[in-house]
Amino acid sequence: MNMKKLSLGLAMGLMASIAIVPAAFAQTPGGEIIIASVQGPPSLDAHVTNAQVARNITLHVYETLYARNENGDAVPDLAESVTVSEDGKTYNFKLREGVKFHNGKEMTSEDVVASIERYRDIGVSKTLVAAVDTVAADGPYNVVITLKEPQSVFLDNISSPRAPLAIYPAEEAAKGANEIDYIGTGPFKFVEYIPDSHVTLEKFADYVPNPAYTERDGLAGKKEVLIDKVTFRFIPEAGARTAALESGAVQIVETVDGPTAERLRADPKYIIHDVLPFAFQVIKFNHALAPTDDVNFRKAVQAALDMEEIMEISYADINQVDGGWVFPNSPFATSAGIDQYNVADLEAAKAFLDQSAYNGETVTFITDNLRPNVDVATVVQSRLEAIGVKMDISVADWPTTSKIGFTPNGWNFWTHGFGIEPFEGPGTVMSAWVGGSGQMVPDPEIDRIAGEFNAALTDDAKKALFTEFQQRMFDNMVAIKAGNYGLFQVTNDKVENFVSFRIPRMWGVTLAQ
Amino acid sequence: MRNYLIRRIISVLPVLFFVSLLSFAVIWIIPGDPTAAFLDASATPEQVEALRDNLGLNKPPLLQVTEWYGQVLTGNLGQSILMRTPVLTAILERLPLTLTLAAMALVLAVLLGVAAGVFAATRRGTWADQTVMTLALLGLSVPDFWLGLLLIVVFAVQLGWFPSGGYVPFMQDPAAWLSSMVLPTLTLAVVQIGFIARMTRSAMLDVINQDFIRTAHAKGLSELYVVTRHGLPNAMMPILTVTGIIAGALLGSAVVVEQVFALPGVGRLIIGAILSRDYPLIQGGLLFLTLIYLLINLGVDLLYAAVDPRVRLE
Repeated sequence: MNMKKLSLGLAMGLMASIAIVPAAFAQTPGGEIIIASVQGPPSLDAHVTNAQVARNITLHVYETLYARNENGDAVPDLAESVTVSEDGKTYNFKLREGVKFHNGKEMTSEDVVASIERYRDIGVSKTLVAAVDTVAADGPYNVVITLKEPQSVFLDNISSPRAPLAIYPAEEAAKGANEIDYIGTGPFKFVEYIPDSHVTLEKFADYVPNPAYTERDGLAGKKEVLIDKVTFRFIPEAGARTAALESGAVQIVETVDGPTAERLRADPKYIIHDVLPFAFQVIKFNHALAPTDDVNFRKAVQAALDMEEIMEISYADINQVDGGWVFPNSPFATSAGIDQYNVADLEAAKAFLDQSAYNGETVTFITDNLRPNVDVATVVQSRLEAIGVKMDISVADWPTTSKIGFTPNGWNFWTHGFGIEPFEGPGTVMSAWVGGSGQMVPDPEIDRIAGEFNAALTDDAKKALFTEFQQRMFDNMVAIKAGNYGLFQVTNDKVENFVSFRIPRMWGVTLAQ
Repeated sequence: MRNYLIRRIISVLPVLFFVSLLSFAVIWIIPGDPTAAFLDASATPEQVEALRDNLGLNKPPLLQVTEWYGQVLTGNLGQSILMRTPVLTAILERLPLTLTLAAMALVLAVLLGVAAGVFAATRRGTWADQTVMTLALLGLSVPDFWLGLLLIVVFAVQLGWFPSGGYVPFMQDPAAWLSSMVLPTLTLAVVQIGFIARMTRSAMLDVINQDFIRTAHAKGLSELYVVTRHGLPNAMMPILTVTGIIAGALLGSAVVVEQVFALPGVGRLIIGAILSRDYPLIQGGLLFLTLIYLLINLGVDLLYAAVDPRVRLE
C-alpha cells in the first residue's frame, strides 16, 4: 500500500510541478505565426524540387521575373516590364531597380542570367525553358532572352510556381543542385531549417514591395510583411496537427480532413478556408499494357464510373463533379466530350467491354497510401467488378508508387492529384500527356494539338485548340478526370487578413495581439 | 571477465556487418529513390533521370556498397542526400533526445512496473491484485500512437498543462524541456509499465512461495523487509531480462512517439529517411540503432553478474 501511494504521489507531484511551465509551442507576442505543415520540404533550392511542401516555403523566400496572379495569369514580379519582338522570338526584360537580395546585394541582370542558365542546366522542370536559345545581360537592368521558335506560353512557363525559376545571386547560381545558400529577394528571409522539425523565416527588413501594385495578388502583387517571423512546423500526424491548433501552439494548419473541418467550423475561434477547386483527381491509364492499351476497355471504365460516388467518398464535402480539363472558372472551360463523363451506366460499360480485347485477366491499380487515392481505387474496383473486370489494388508509399508509375510496366491504373497543372492553365495540363508522358504511349493527336497550342498567338486560336484537346482526351479516353477536389485551410481567430490561396501566403497577414 | 568483454565486443562486428548488408539489400529491393521526395506526379521520366544524375544517384549499386563500407571503416557514414549534412552529425544531433526519452520512459516504467508487480504479488487473488493486473493488461494493450493522441487531447488541448508537441532543448530552457518531455515519456512508458508489472508479479510469486521466504516470515521479519530484502532480489533475474528487452523495444516505440509529438529524434529521422529513400541516412541510422541495441544487450548480460553472484561471465 505504501509503495502504491508513493508511486502515485510521485507521479502526481511531477505532473503538477511541470504543468505550470508554459507550453513549448506557445505563441510569441509581437508577431510570429506558426503554421502546422504535414512534412518538411525535400530541399529549399527552388530549382530542384516541384514538391508542394517546398514551394509553400520557397515562394516566401524567392521571387521570379514574372509570377502568377490570383487568376493564374503571368504578371511582372522582379521584372518591371517586357517587350517582345514582332517575330515573337526575342524577349527584352526590364528589371526593377533597387531590389535587394537577403545578403544586401542589389539584384542585377547578371544574377538573372546566371539563375536562368542554372535552371536550364539543372532545373527540375527545365522543359519550361526548353525553347530558350540564348540569355544575355544588356546593361545592369536588362535581360534579353531569345527563343529558338516563338512560344506563346513563354511567360506562363517562366512564371510557373511548380519548381519556380527563382532568381538567386549569381554566386549561388554557380552552385550545384541542392548546394546553395538560401538567399533570395522575397519578402521573407531564411533563418533556420531543422529538417525533421521546422523552417523559420523572418521579415526581410530591406524588402521593397513592387510599386506597380497596391494589393496582394496571387504570388505577385504587393507583398507587404506585417509580422516578424513565420515558422513552418512539421507535424506528420493529422490528429496532432489539429491538437496543436486547438491548444494554441500553432495558428494555421495547412490542411485538415472533412470531419475535422466541420467540427472546427462550429467553433468561432477558427476560420475554415475552403480552397476549391485545388486540384484534379486523375485516373491514369497505362496505354503500353493490355488491357488498358485498348480504347474500348478504357471507355468501358469511364462509362462504368459514378464520379459523384468517387468524389464524395474520397473528398467528402469538398469536391466538384466536373469532367473538364481546366477548372470551371477558366476562360478555356468547354463542354467538349463531356457527354462521355459521369455516365455511370453499367450496361453501356459492358457493351464497350464486349468490343474490347479484354479476356478476364486481372488488372493492376497502383496508388500511394494517401487516403483519398486509396478510396478512389477502391470505388473503381467495386464498379469494375460489377461489369466483370478483375482488379488488384497495389498500395505503397509515394516513392515506390511513382517509381512504378513512371515506367510502362507493372500497372494499368494510377490515380493521384493534378494540382499545379490546372492552376497553371491549359498549356501545362496538355503537357502532362505530350509524348506519352502520363499514359506511356504517345498520342500523335495530343502531341500535334499541344505543339500548335504552344505556338498559337491569339486567345481564340488557343481556345479552339484546347477544345480539340479536351475532345481528344475523351474520344481516345487518354485518361479519366474524376472531378475537382479542394482542401480546408484553417486559421485561428488571432490571424487576421489571411486570404487563402494555393500556398499559405504570409504577406499582408497580421496577428492580433 | 575481461576476455568475455573482448569476445562480446568483437562479436558485435559481424552483426553490424550483416545488418548493414541486409539493410542495403532491402533498400535496393524496395522501388523508388530520393528523387521521389523532390518530384510530384507532374514529373516526367526524363526529369526523374536528370535529377538522379544531379544528385549522383546513378552509380551502380555494387560501387555504392563498396564505397560506403570503405567510408565506414574510416569513421565516415557519408552525407545525407536531402539534409546536406554528414549522416553522423545528423544522428548525433538527434541521439540525445531519443536516448533521454527512452531512458526517462525506462526509469518510469521500471519504478512503477516493479512497484505494481510486487504490490499485486503480495496480495495474490485479492481485488487489489486483480485491479492492478487489469490495469496492467489495459496499459499493455493500448496502441502507443492512440494513447499519445489521447494524452495530447486531455493534457494539451483540454487542460493546457503541457505542449501538444515540439521540443525545446534542455540548454535553451530546462523547464520547457521537461514540459515538452512529459507526455511523450508517459506515452512511451505506459505499455512497458504493464509489461514489467506482469513479469514482476509472476517472478515474485515464484519466489514468495519458497521455503526461505517462509523462514524469513517465521523469524518475525516485517512484510516490507521480507519483500524488499529477500523476495525482490531473488526475482530480479527475469525482471532484468525483461527490462533489457524493453530498453531495446523503447527505441522502436520512440519512432512512433516522436512522430506523434513531432520530436526531432533519431526515430523520426530514420522514418523520414526511409520515406524519402535517403540511402546514406537509412544505412547510418540503422547501423547506429543496431549498435545501441547490441550495447544494451551487453549491458544487461553484465548486470546479470552484478545482480546474481552465481552468474560468472567467462
